[in-house]
Amino acid sequence: MLITGIKSRPVYDRLQPMTGGLRHLIAGQGSGGEAMLRLLADMSETQRHNSTLLYSTESFSGHSHLQALQDADAAGLEVFASNQALIDALRERLGDAHMGTRLYLSGSESFIGTAMQAANAVDLNRDEVLREHSGTLVRRVWCAHCDTYTENVTQRVFTCPGCQLNLVVRDHYSRRLAAFQGIKADGEVPGELPAAEELDT
Amino acid sequence: MNTHNGTLSVRVARIEQLTPEIKRFTLVDPDGKHLPAFSGGSHVVVVLEDGDKTHRNAYSLMSSPYDSSAYQIAVRRVSDGRGGSRLMHDKVCQGDLLQILQPANLFPLAKHARQHVFVAGGVGITPVYSQLEELHVKQSTFELHLAVRGPEHTALGLELQARYGQCVHLYVQGQQRLDIRSVLAGRPLGSHVYVCGPDSMIDDTLDSAHALGWTDSHIHYERFVEQGSTGQPFSVTLARQGVTIEVPAEQSLLEAAEQAGYKVPYLCRGGACGYCETEVLEVDGELDHRDDWLSEDDKLSKRKFMPCVSRANCSRLVVDL
Repeated sequence: MLITGIKSRPVYDRLQPMTGGLRHLIAGQGSGGEAMLRLLADMSETQRHNSTLLYSTESFSGHSHLQALQDADAAGLEVFASNQALIDALRERLGDAHMGTRLYLSGSESFIGTAMQAANAVDLNRDEVLREHSGTLVRRVWCAHCDTYTENVTQRVFTCPGCQLNLVVRDHYSRRLAAFQGIKADGEVPGELPAAEELDT
Repeated sequence: MNTHNGTLSVRVARIEQLTPEIKRFTLVDPDGKHLPAFSGGSHVVVVLEDGDKTHRNAYSLMSSPYDSSAYQIAVRRVSDGRGGSRLMHDKVCQGDLLQILQPANLFPLAKHARQHVFVAGGVGITPVYSQLEELHVKQSTFELHLAVRGPEHTALGLELQARYGQCVHLYVQGQQRLDIRSVLAGRPLGSHVYVCGPDSMIDDTLDSAHALGWTDSHIHYERFVEQGSTGQPFSVTLARQGVTIEVPAEQSLLEAAEQAGYKVPYLCRGGACGYCETEVLEVDGELDHRDDWLSEDDKLSKRKFMPCVSRANCSRLVVDL
């Protein structure tokens, strides 16, 4: 029933300066700070001075690059305590931004996926955004029954905190929802649950 | 080899002289049926028999994509052209039947754009007509910046101004100057520019947009494609047919193959769409690539070739046709 090999999962890039851009928005989270620092080091001075950094200290693994980012040479750094707060701010910055802006994202799949929702809302295309994944591939799961999103799911079968149903996590990643789909695990034969297994995180 | 598109017979219901050089033709189904649907930015190819020659000229559809009872095209008379537009202007009368190919779209709207900015020059306004109609029905906002050579060339611009009002900006040479760079400056993310006009206008738009940091996915252009090509004659072997034909100085490979009775798939006939791309199986000499389709790498590889416009300067050329 489950699909093997996840074709729908985005193929991530390695952050590098996009030369045609006049302004650069660099947003990252947790261990993604490392890619942000490497990107800044690869940039010219002009590019750095036209770069705004957005960093969220929320992290699944506990990594923080805040100190190094505070010391970095860039036009500005805004720090957020949660990924959601960063993405709300990003949505606002993108809404006010002009053509010529490039977006760089680094962090967990959940962070990148939700940030891409903000990018898609202003029609940023693949030639204006680079995404570098860091850390684990723990999943963000959307419950098909009650519309609850659950972060950091690592098990094939888990209980939805929204509706208490046992959900099986399918191997289809939805870019629109920025999540994997969870559906009732014993929907076909009540009581018959699929084997518990750790997801390929 | 097979045709990818059957031709469609249409009757010329009306001919209007819009400017000293442009006529608008309204085409309908001879039996009063509906014509195939199309989207904003589409064109049709008009097939014109001219003695032993056949012209296949592409014209943008300028009528509403939401009205399939008629197609409208505008034809600019090019006095020193290959003859297709002269034939349309001087010989075609109301009531005549014309053969056209089904509409195809190489200049579609970006469906997710937040702003649509159109830049057009002269008869380059024609594909924009149907695009604006599509946006108008969808209640999307847009801006049009249209430059023309003089007051006697303003008919289409004035017609659009009457329909859409202030979002149509008309620039008459000698009176107002269209500064493309300032038109594009300060646009919000998600803006798209569409340009159709002379090469200098397209190049100016591409350069301005790139200088402002725009990426290619937000820049859309359609050149007035010079149909066919002229140059030194050459011979070519069509591998699948097992024949060698001569391409004369005033014909393209595509035209020479058609005249010899071989059907080669095509769409734009101007090196823009990529439909007729073929593989080079053998070449002894230089290829003269003249298209906008192949990448620089493809051109240097000598493995690919566009029969509609490109030529060769070689002793032997074998293509996969």
